[in-house]
Amino acid sequence: MSAPVIAAEGLSKWYGQIIGLNDVTFEVPPGITGLLGPNGAGKSTFMKLATGQLQPSKGRIAVLGQTIWGNPSLYFRIGFCPEQDAFYERMTGLEWVAALVRLNGADETSAAGAARRALGLVDLLDAADRRIGAYSKGMRQRVKMAQAIAHDPELLILDEPLAGMDPLARRKTIRMIKEWGREGRSVLVSSHVLHEIESMTPNILLINQGRILAEGNVHQIRDLIDEHPHKVYVKADRTRALARELLAQEDVLSLAFEGEAVVVQTSKPDAFYARLTELAASGVHGAIHEVTSPDDNLQAVFEYLVK
Amino acid sequence: MMEGRTAPTVAASALRVFDLSLGQMLWSRRSVFLAILLGAPVLMAVAIRVLGARLGPIEVNGRAVNGAAVFGLMIWLLYIRFIVPVLGVFYGTSLIADEIDDKTITYLFTRPIRRSAVLLGKYLAYLASTVLLVLPSVMLVFFLVVPTGEGSLGAAFPSLLADFGMLTAGLIAYGAVFAFVGARLKRPLVAGLVFAFGWEPAALLLPGYLKRLTVAYYLQALVAHERPQDSPIGMLLQVFREVPPVGTSLISLALIVGLALWAASRAVEGREYVLEQ
Repeated sequence: MSAPVIAAEGLSKWYGQIIGLNDVTFEVPPGITGLLGPNGAGKSTFMKLATGQLQPSKGRIAVLGQTIWGNPSLYFRIGFCPEQDAFYERMTGLEWVAALVRLNGADETSAAGAARRALGLVDLLDAADRRIGAYSKGMRQRVKMAQAIAHDPELLILDEPLAGMDPLARRKTIRMIKEWGREGRSVLVSSHVLHEIESMTPNILLINQGRILAEGNVHQIRDLIDEHPHKVYVKADRTRALARELLAQEDVLSLAFEGEAVVVQTSKPDAFYARLTELAASGVHGAIHEVTSPDDNLQAVFEYLVK
Repeated sequence: MMEGRTAPTVAASALRVFDLSLGQMLWSRRSVFLAILLGAPVLMAVAIRVLGARLGPIEVNGRAVNGAAVFGLMIWLLYIRFIVPVLGVFYGTSLIADEIDDKTITYLFTRPIRRSAVLLGKYLAYLASTVLLVLPSVMLVFFLVVPTGEGSLGAAFPSLLADFGMLTAGLIAYGAVFAFVGARLKRPLVAGLVFAFGWEPAALLLPGYLKRLTVAYYLQALVAHERPQDSPIGMLLQVFREVPPVGTSLISLALIVGLALWAASRAVEGREYVLEQ
């Protein structure tokens, strides 16, 4: 059996009185692994421990066989895409990614080349010379991905990478992550949407309230989640026309407008996402800019699981 | 995989962080504050110049005060005792804090460079941005104020160069001290303000050795201006009369800077930064 890319042993993290992660022991195997849990479950805490931003309160965590805290040389081998929507807004996408690659020791020319390649992979080359401040939500997600992959790491750690992406970028990112895995690299990707994770990998770690509930292939969880209505927030050029079309579908249980977006409740998320991607590709209702899913779907499943 | 995976040295990493940070710092929220802070002495200098042209030179106790003496007083009381510590407090304490508030620290701390290099790079960016903005302000004040009261620009020019050196030394020293405060404390701004405007003025007025625990004590040895005697200005400057030799001051300032940056680096290397969710 191959050595795990991440190994946690009795790992705990607490912030004062608040427990972020509670005595977890598990291994993340090579390949693609999904970390699934609702907001506040401990996903981000675990990712921060795995990227050496936090020090364990108890226990230990090894990444690629080494302790990560205080070991900056390990970051040559790791790419991290954080959850927060934070950037140097005045820089262009190209300047920003290249500047970060330079911190990996690359000279100016090779950093610019690596940045261009990474921006190309996330389909952002056309906007490379635009200021990040002028990017849409989906473009910001993609430029964040670009900085994570630009230095060609062995292990990618992605915290909610699909949040806010439009359906086409989402499909492309999922393909890219799968391709990454096929090339023999490892990816740990977190999400609170099972369908997102499932489209990338069957290998899932379920986390809730700071504990790992289950790991491995979790088809049963998938069956469970299908019993719960799934909410999706969609922002498009012509939201009302899109809503009319969606409402005609059998699986759409309800629709509600929130500003310029529509919140759809569906009983068949897989079919819904597939149809949304087709609609985005056809452009029949203009561009679809943002698709997000609140975590109350998954929360319902977890409440059921931990009863 | 990318070739040539050699970690850059701390100095090279710091320079790359400097490149990344300089523009951010110059266009940060603090820039407006910096402009107001540095614009105020220039406005005062304009007022002195206009009033001097209309009403004649400034007089104290019936005696005309030379423009160079007024400039010297402005340098000491406005720049060294107020503007430089304020810049040090507001910029120095925020070197890392700004990245935390903006949630961009993650990108810097997940690269194969030491955290101390991030701190040093941002400290260098602070120095470059403040020095490049303070010195033009001083130069404008010099050209506006020194010619009043029959002052001579040519005669006063060497002291301007010395003032540049002193202000730069002040920015270096205060920046390093407050970088340490920022790296070590959770609410560094309050502690920094208490140090700069509570502890320092008080310690300078107290007899004994306490004044040696201030930055201002060593900076005052670098003041190049002659202090006018037998005038309120002279009396005011008497307060700062006890000064160490220039060599001792420079060595002491270098030690303060070295020690503060070392301690700040240690603090940054060992501290966890938890971003607000």
